[in-house]
Amino acid sequence: MKKSRIFALCFLVVCLFSTAAVFADEVKLTIWGRDIPDDSADHAYVRALINGFQAKNPDIKVDYIALGDPGLADKTKITMASGSGLPEIFQTWGGSVMGGYADAGMLLDLTNELKGIPGSDAARQAMTWKGKIYGVAPFFAVAGIFVNEGIFKANNLKVPTTIEEFDKVCDTLKAKGIQPFACGEKDKWPALALYMYLTNRYGGEASAKAAARQIPYDSDAFVKAAQLYQSWIKKGYFGSTPLGEGYGDAQQLMATGKAAMHITGSWMCAQYANSEFTDQTIGFYAFPAFKSGGVGSVTDIMGQTDIGFAATKVAASKKDAVVKFLKYAMSAEACEAEPGRICSVPGVKAKSKLTAQAAAVFGTAKTVTFWWDQDLPPSVTSPLNDMLQTFFLQGTDVKKSLSSFEALCVENIGPVKK
Amino acid sequence: MNVFKRKAVLRTEPAKRKKKDPGRKVFVFLCVLPAILFLAVFLYYPIEETFRLSTMKTTGLSNEVFVGTDNYEKLFRDEEFLAGLRHVFSWAFWSIIIQLPLSFFIAFSLTYYSNKLTKPLQAIFYLPNVLPSAITAMLGKFVFAPNYGLIVSLGKALGWKWLASIDFLGNPDLAFWSVFAVATWAYSGFYVIYLMSRIEQIPKDLREAAELDGASMWCYARKIVLPELNYPLRILAILCTVGSLKLFDLPNMMTMGGPGNATVTLGITLYRHGFINWNYGKAAAIGVVIFVLSLVFTILQFSLGRKEDETI
Repeated sequence: MKKSRIFALCFLVVCLFSTAAVFADEVKLTIWGRDIPDDSADHAYVRALINGFQAKNPDIKVDYIALGDPGLADKTKITMASGSGLPEIFQTWGGSVMGGYADAGMLLDLTNELKGIPGSDAARQAMTWKGKIYGVAPFFAVAGIFVNEGIFKANNLKVPTTIEEFDKVCDTLKAKGIQPFACGEKDKWPALALYMYLTNRYGGEASAKAAARQIPYDSDAFVKAAQLYQSWIKKGYFGSTPLGEGYGDAQQLMATGKAAMHITGSWMCAQYANSEFTDQTIGFYAFPAFKSGGVGSVTDIMGQTDIGFAATKVAASKKDAVVKFLKYAMSAEACEAEPGRICSVPGVKAKSKLTAQAAAVFGTAKTVTFWWDQDLPPSVTSPLNDMLQTFFLQGTDVKKSLSSFEALCVENIGPVKK
Repeated sequence: MNVFKRKAVLRTEPAKRKKKDPGRKVFVFLCVLPAILFLAVFLYYPIEETFRLSTMKTTGLSNEVFVGTDNYEKLFRDEEFLAGLRHVFSWAFWSIIIQLPLSFFIAFSLTYYSNKLTKPLQAIFYLPNVLPSAITAMLGKFVFAPNYGLIVSLGKALGWKWLASIDFLGNPDLAFWSVFAVATWAYSGFYVIYLMSRIEQIPKDLREAAELDGASMWCYARKIVLPELNYPLRILAILCTVGSLKLFDLPNMMTMGGPGNATVTLGITLYRHGFINWNYGKAAAIGVVIFVLSLVFTILQFSLGRKEDETI
């Protein structure tokens, strides 16, 4: 009896030690992402990434936590501020938000490990801050015009190739009872893509100059773009209730053929190409330039990271595992699963005609301007989107709104250098 | 009043005769220590930190720079903050003017005409109160949204173009009231149940006596029920006011504070400054303003109530 007890005790101790040894060899990576890795087509890449990496690396335990939007941004910010409870890897669009974390010393510099990974320059640039690479961007989004080709064909209309042509096309659509543009401005940010394009087409590098404090935000290009935007709103090109509609409503207007165009990011390719989401024939086109009097060209593209990952300082002790994960995120194997986004990895073919069109637009880009609300310092980005929403309110003096925004920029970024 | 005082004196007399027992004091101290520690860590320390942060300029990630009252001065020049302040005050005002009388009316009706239907009705009125804010906001959007909203669809079905074309959430003049209507539906259930429980505590003899004297229902409600509900209504008024000062979830989920600043509240402004604009100092200053206002209103309403009691 006594012997059997001693044997059982020894067996238990051996079991405990062997289990501990197994866990000690296992590296755990906590990853905070936006999307749930479920069966939805939108989440195909995240699902393939997590499952594929886990299958290939059984010695690395991936703890992926989906936090949604704005949950991911809020939780990351709080955790970065407190400095504790950080994940090893988090999903990010890069830009100034990631830069703020890098400046605070919360991120892991992976320049040497990641500089050799093949990918588009724009995607790498978005994950670079002050010359250091902090992560990878397997997918990149560009803004363009989603056009309901069926509506255009039925009404003998051609997709505008100059900004001047928009008025004629929009007036025809309106006369036929079709809303020219879907927007969803209740969510504030959807108006930005068009405003960025209009500013670029009027003033070329105006936004870069304003961010570098060479010109103010109430200078000519910004004001003219705002005035043209406002005139289109007044003409009803965005429908009669753009402020009551959210981004989801705008998608529905396009999906049901009630709106003819949607100026937004290429992340919508998967949905607009999905026959379960819409029965309309939708195409993707570059935003045109002015026929005369403009500065920016059709090859000046607006966009930024669509899906990106960066590593935090707590990953320093697990650098090998983290780099392995980031490299797998940039692998063709993981990226092939994505049905709609533009992949920055060479050799990954677009899954739909729509994505191929968007990728072609991206391919023509001579300059890429990052989203202002991701690239400018966070202290001015939310007021920027608030200001854009006021363009849709009756009686708004856009010049005055831009001057107020400029005053905020002076306070937070600095005065214009003379 | 004197009787109560006398009783209190009688109770304290034997205690005075007791010998001092240091062991008992230690025991009492140890008993309350967890509560003191809990309050200190989770209540007083955060309050102190908020006050301290409100005098700093910081993104939460960078070093803190002492700026004195600069954050407060900027706040009172900030259009969004001022709009938020105006909205929470009008929200509190209209809550007291609309939600409380409506809740009283429902609560009184349900108790006065108590029958088999009353219990299920109580549950129906209380149901919105147990729904998560996200669901309430979604239902609100379903009612007020343009294109597919319940009211707009009704307008289309009836051929009333004027109704179908109303943009409840996108029109700055209507957005506040649309959100307020949803809040009234969502929050009144609690007030109804609370008032019902207090009305039911009023002795039945009072109602019988009133009815024998020929008092109408209105007269009974005004002369007997309302005076009895003086204190509960005061409590609800405080809850309305303090709740309005902290208001965040419904307007943020339904309209994001827009269009423009039409439905912005102090809570939304705080969230934006802290979490989106990375301006922790200013966000903390808004937190202090909300704290001070809540404190002032609570004290004010309680002291006003006490004065009323004394005059009665």
